[in-house]
Amino acid sequence: MNSAAVFAFTCPVKTNSGNKALENLPVELAGLNAVNPLVVANARAVGPKAVRTLMSAFGDSGMTLGLFEGVTEATDLGVVDHLKNICLEKKYDAFIALGGGKAADVAKVLNLAVSLKTPDARRLLPEAPVRKRLLPLVVVAAAGADGLETSQLACLSRMVFSSEWLAPALAVLDPRLARAKNGIQMAATGLAALGRAVESHISADQNPFRKAYSFAAIRFVRENLLSAVADPGNRKAALAVLNSAAMSGCAFSNAASGRLHKLGQVFYDLLGIPQGVIMGMGLPLVLGDALREGRYDLAALFQPLAGDDAFAQTPAEKRPEAALAMLNRFLEDLRSVLGKELPKSLREAGVPGYRKEEILDVLGQDEDGPYLRGVVERMADGERERKG
Amino acid sequence: MLLPDYYEFCCRVKIVAGHDALEKIPDLLIERGAKKPLVITDKGVAGAGLTDIVSRAIGDRVDAGLIADDVPPDSDLRVVNRLARLYRDNACDAIIAVGGGSVMDTAKGINIVVSENAEDLMAFSGVGALKRPLKPLIAIPTTAGTGSEVTQVAVIKDHEKHLKMAFGSYFLLPDIAILDSRMTLTMPPFITAMTGMDAMSHAVEAYYCLQKNPLSDAHSLAAVGMIYRYLPLAAKNPEDRDSRLAMAVAACLAGIAFSNSMVGLVHNLGHATGSVCGVPHGLCMAILLPYGLEYNLHKRANVMAELLLPIAGEQVYLATPPEQRAQKVVSLIRGLNENLHAITGGRHARCLQEIKDREGKPSVPRDILPQIASAALLDGASIYNPEDTDYEDNRMVLEAAWEGKPLDRTRVKKG
Repeated sequence: MNSAAVFAFTCPVKTNSGNKALENLPVELAGLNAVNPLVVANARAVGPKAVRTLMSAFGDSGMTLGLFEGVTEATDLGVVDHLKNICLEKKYDAFIALGGGKAADVAKVLNLAVSLKTPDARRLLPEAPVRKRLLPLVVVAAAGADGLETSQLACLSRMVFSSEWLAPALAVLDPRLARAKNGIQMAATGLAALGRAVESHISADQNPFRKAYSFAAIRFVRENLLSAVADPGNRKAALAVLNSAAMSGCAFSNAASGRLHKLGQVFYDLLGIPQGVIMGMGLPLVLGDALREGRYDLAALFQPLAGDDAFAQTPAEKRPEAALAMLNRFLEDLRSVLGKELPKSLREAGVPGYRKEEILDVLGQDEDGPYLRGVVERMADGERERKG
Repeated sequence: MLLPDYYEFCCRVKIVAGHDALEKIPDLLIERGAKKPLVITDKGVAGAGLTDIVSRAIGDRVDAGLIADDVPPDSDLRVVNRLARLYRDNACDAIIAVGGGSVMDTAKGINIVVSENAEDLMAFSGVGALKRPLKPLIAIPTTAGTGSEVTQVAVIKDHEKHLKMAFGSYFLLPDIAILDSRMTLTMPPFITAMTGMDAMSHAVEAYYCLQKNPLSDAHSLAAVGMIYRYLPLAAKNPEDRDSRLAMAVAACLAGIAFSNSMVGLVHNLGHATGSVCGVPHGLCMAILLPYGLEYNLHKRANVMAELLLPIAGEQVYLATPPEQRAQKVVSLIRGLNENLHAITGGRHARCLQEIKDREGKPSVPRDILPQIASAALLDGASIYNPEDTDYEDNRMVLEAAWEGKPLDRTRVKKG
């Protein structure tokens, strides 16, 4: 092992996955010394049934819990500040984020504000270092997860907060909450997980701990996403996709912020397009560029994408291109199930030209701006990566 | 990839690894608001100059001058209380544990006392008694095998009351594990071999035993490949820093795997052999691992076969018919023991009858095997073994491992 530089890896998230996982929540919270948690949810996104399922898991536990189910896409630091005052007054001592996306972001930043007793949450700055352990945060994954729930990132009011203390202490993956509204929602979850896991692998400073998480996530997506998309009632496959999302968040927390992730984030923030849809569209392009640059370990990617037998049978020098070809086939298979619901291009996704310009303007401010703008231009009409 | 109906996985330890990982300690302490750690270790580690390396690497950005280097091999409550007093009297705010299992357990015990202001450590024994984070604890392992830097348990003896107190909590996990090649460069080849095989047994048993899960699997697969490749190199060239670092990382991966999926017959019989005969744990693991695989082969052949690719690489994998891959894994692990036996000039025993004490006498006489087989019945590790075991099964495996002959698999009861 030639490791010239020191590497670090951390995943503070405990995973509880499977049947009745929710019912263990009261015991888990008690073990974290929490007796008065607040549930933070976007009820419109996860649906009232998910909220009821979560609340009823506390049954006769004797634990009282608060519920704020009013998270929306517009929730910002002002709302967080208001919630913070309520939390301090009611002495909430833990947070449970139900579902992904904004609910998880709000719960993370709210936890930061309450734990630090920030006088005015609207003045929270992402660059201020966090040197204190926060209150326990649990994320309960639900359909629509994007993997960022388990990460140390929180995006709110166009700011990205990043600290290992922001990551949840526990991720609960329960099959009762895994069923997606439709195939495209499930595909978006799986493609976001796949994108972040792949991007974690090709990020600088590889290490075997991160690779364990990212490769496990890729394998689970490859083995389960098609089944989960084709049959929304397939609970086992849906749960496996949620597992891959949770794993990808842990891997991604230990990687430099990826280009694909930035693309997914900006389209989600500005246009509300699920991150996975954009990441799936951009993945072959970004991976194709990585192949041409030749400095990434794409050969290894072929193993989780294709399985042990195909990996072993393919000569080492052909694996990078085979990985890209396998990825393209996988995306085609998904499209054969979903049709135009899984767009190949921004045009198919219904992104009008003027909105694309808006996206390009925002990306122009990023350090990877020139590259990302080029990818967006190629995505506009659906340039496909032909390599492999 | 298997998704169990239910599983839990947790390793909250921050891993910091590299040839110069120790130099990161000041920043890591400062990030956690600590600036005066108590360093604890044992005489062997200090005598080998390892604490000096740690001290030099830490430098003077934090005050790490208080070093207690007298943790005994069978540490107990009195040592914990004495060092907790030392911690308090000097207003320390973190603990750095440099060493093996006894030092790690002692550090965890001290941490409970100083964090909970405990008078009676017994009040925190058992599982789940701790409810909140303890003081920052940095674990620096000095062998590559036990994985104790990533385990959430501690055992503290009370010699006066003849008690063993067991503690289990995620809050006992060290905050940080530092894996630095300098900590194992002076480890002799035969200890390198047995501790490395201890790690291999963690990774392999975690992979085929009943409580496996996708994340423990991912850690196991990474570990077995690294151990198979780097263990002979580290044993042959003790000063090869890259092999040492790879083994430290692999042992940590294996430790994460087994502490989240548990182990089986190999550890079951190994614990019993260790306690009855006082032989090193790692050596028991090395000898018994091929037998654990053989004993369970009829139930887990497909799973064991998946280990062949990371262990042996593509050529061997493709050249081995699928139905023979599990058996091939067994023979490669047996071959690894043979290789280590040769590298260590015969000090790495291949079977129980080859284990000798310092006077050269056999440590495991054949007539003691029934006692070991009985003792194993009291050890909980058998719960997670794929095939059931009883006294006769234990005897059969132990006899084969004593002689060093492959198990007669026709005699394995299939439950």
